Amino acid sequence: MLLDIGVTSGMQLKQILGLTELAQNLGLSNVWIGEDITAPHDVFTVASIILLKSSTVNVGIGITSPLIRNISTVARASVSLTEIGGDRRFRLGLGIGGLQDLTRLGIVVKNPESLMRNAATLLRIIWKGETLSFKNGDFVVENYYTRYGLGYYIPIFFGVRGPKLLKLAGEIADGVILSGPKTYLKKAITIVKESIKKSPQPTRNFRLVVWVPTILTETHRDLNLVKQTVAFVLADTPRKVLEMAQLNFDENEKIKRIYHRFGIAKASELVTEDLIEEVAIHGNSKQMCEAFESLEKLGVQEVVFGPPYGANSQSALTKLAHAWRRPS
Amino acid sequence: MKFGLGVNANETITEIVRKTVEAEKLGIDYVWVSDVPVQLYAPTVASAIAANTRKIQIGLGLLSVFLHTPVQIANSVSTLVEAYGERFELCIGPGDRNLLKSVGVPLYHSRGVGNYLLDAKKQIETTLWKNKVKCRMWLGVQGPKMLEISKFFDGVLLNYAQPDLIKWAVDKVGSVKRKDFQFGIFSSSYVYQDFNPKIYNLLRISSAIVALGASKVVLESLSLSEKIVEAKKKLDNGATIASIIDHIPLKTIELFSIFKPATELGEYLSKISKMKVGHVVFGFPQNFSEKTIKELAQALKSYTQLKRSLQTRNT
Repeated sequence: MLLDIGVTSGMQLKQILGLTELAQNLGLSNVWIGEDITAPHDVFTVASIILLKSSTVNVGIGITSPLIRNISTVARASVSLTEIGGDRRFRLGLGIGGLQDLTRLGIVVKNPESLMRNAATLLRIIWKGETLSFKNGDFVVENYYTRYGLGYYIPIFFGVRGPKLLKLAGEIADGVILSGPKTYLKKAITIVKESIKKSPQPTRNFRLVVWVPTILTETHRDLNLVKQTVAFVLADTPRKVLEMAQLNFDENEKIKRIYHRFGIAKASELVTEDLIEEVAIHGNSKQMCEAFESLEKLGVQEVVFGPPYGANSQSALTKLAHAWRRPS
Repeated sequence: MKFGLGVNANETITEIVRKTVEAEKLGIDYVWVSDVPVQLYAPTVASAIAANTRKIQIGLGLLSVFLHTPVQIANSVSTLVEAYGERFELCIGPGDRNLLKSVGVPLYHSRGVGNYLLDAKKQIETTLWKNKVKCRMWLGVQGPKMLEISKFFDGVLLNYAQPDLIKWAVDKVGSVKRKDFQFGIFSSSYVYQDFNPKIYNLLRISSAIVALGASKVVLESLSLSEKIVEAKKKLDNGATIASIIDHIPLKTIELFSIFKPATELGEYLSKISKMKVGHVVFGFPQNFSEKTIKELAQALKSYTQLKRSLQTRNT
């Protein structure tokens, strides 16, 4: 199993580049960039900068929603990054998007399965260079064909959570980026694996990636960071995931309410130790590696570290990478 | 007068970067990276250019405010400036009606396209200000309605080449209070020493595309309406540009393109510089090869040297 580094477009560019450079020096081979739609950075441009500044790390968008950009823009941005990186260094993560983000943008998703299936299918047709006409609620293309370099195979990862979408990921995607409580992860992995078996290409090279809150904690004070992260994550966790994780829906709703009304610090006071254990991976580097190994036993091939990393992101990454000591 | 080269038309990023490095070496001031739904994504192309060059200014656009949200546009520029410094300028506009239609984006807004553009400009400015980024913002337009709002921008990039048309557009914009306001043109171009019919054909297609995307008012004023509407209908019925090119009047080349032997470029530039034009972008197919870029750069050098010597003589 590989240890990857995760950054978000909401972080300062200097920190993103510092961490990715360090990750490369530490022998990590994959960077995932989560899109924060409120951030002052364009996620595709950030990806280009990382690809241009490093020569070996693979860069993945993990994830962007096909609802916030025209599908043709996602297609050509992905091809641009593949051209820049060369040799399959770019991976595209697609998902519906965070609940809070979609609400903020006033986007209502009517049929998530259809949206994701169509998005992946359209992208692959566009990348092949075929002339395309398609019309449904989410996408409209009419006699569309591209004039840029074609013929690239760009891996599409699904960043999805509900059972139907997990099944779809196993059926058509090249990989899945999973996030959620540990009990949920076990069930989600089973669903994805079952679906791969039944898919038209059951032996394809499918990647299972897990990106959950990971925080290196060295002092008791670091635990506050863990609690706040857990509160933030739970506020954006859909009901289906909570049910699969067997978490108390009412308790979670309370955390969500307090978070929206009084902010993260107040909401984090409601985060119990059980919730922390269920939602986050934390501890010293040895404890974190043990937690990662338990994911490996479930068949996970990549685990993403961060954010918020720990009190000092660079030091936390260095300690964890040394403790992991796996050739990448 | 500043000179730019248009890139990102049917090229790979490796080719674009190689040609831009050459343009920088040859002293061209700007490279403009176009962004339409059928080409590579301009901000990432601009990123590759910036990473491989040192001083050439990079224009981003035209970026359609109907295809990208104002915040997305501002954030792309902010990311580039944060990574590579203040080397970027931005051109926004409505975009090509036919290409936008092909990706399901109608060129329409209930408050009118002009008002929508002004709102977008304000949002971009606010976002850039929040991100502490400075960037010149051009409006890329053609029709008379859009020309009227261009004075609210830092400059206007016209899609014309013919001096009479440029004069008409400059008059339409009228007097502008801001001192740093600039008039520029961004046209399909072929300035040559050794004429190549293959490149001329590309220029012809390029000019035809501009004509096909032109507004009704512009086409009527140029007596092109009938033939272009007819060609548009054929396109809508699935015909390719190549198959209808003979139905497009050759006059479109003269109107919408800079097509000249290198020896005649100086005269043309002198003429348009008297019309307040301070920025000229030589668009596709001038970037066809390193040779065509070199031919342009040499012609520009001759013009600049001649201008300097005339100024010295006058003083």
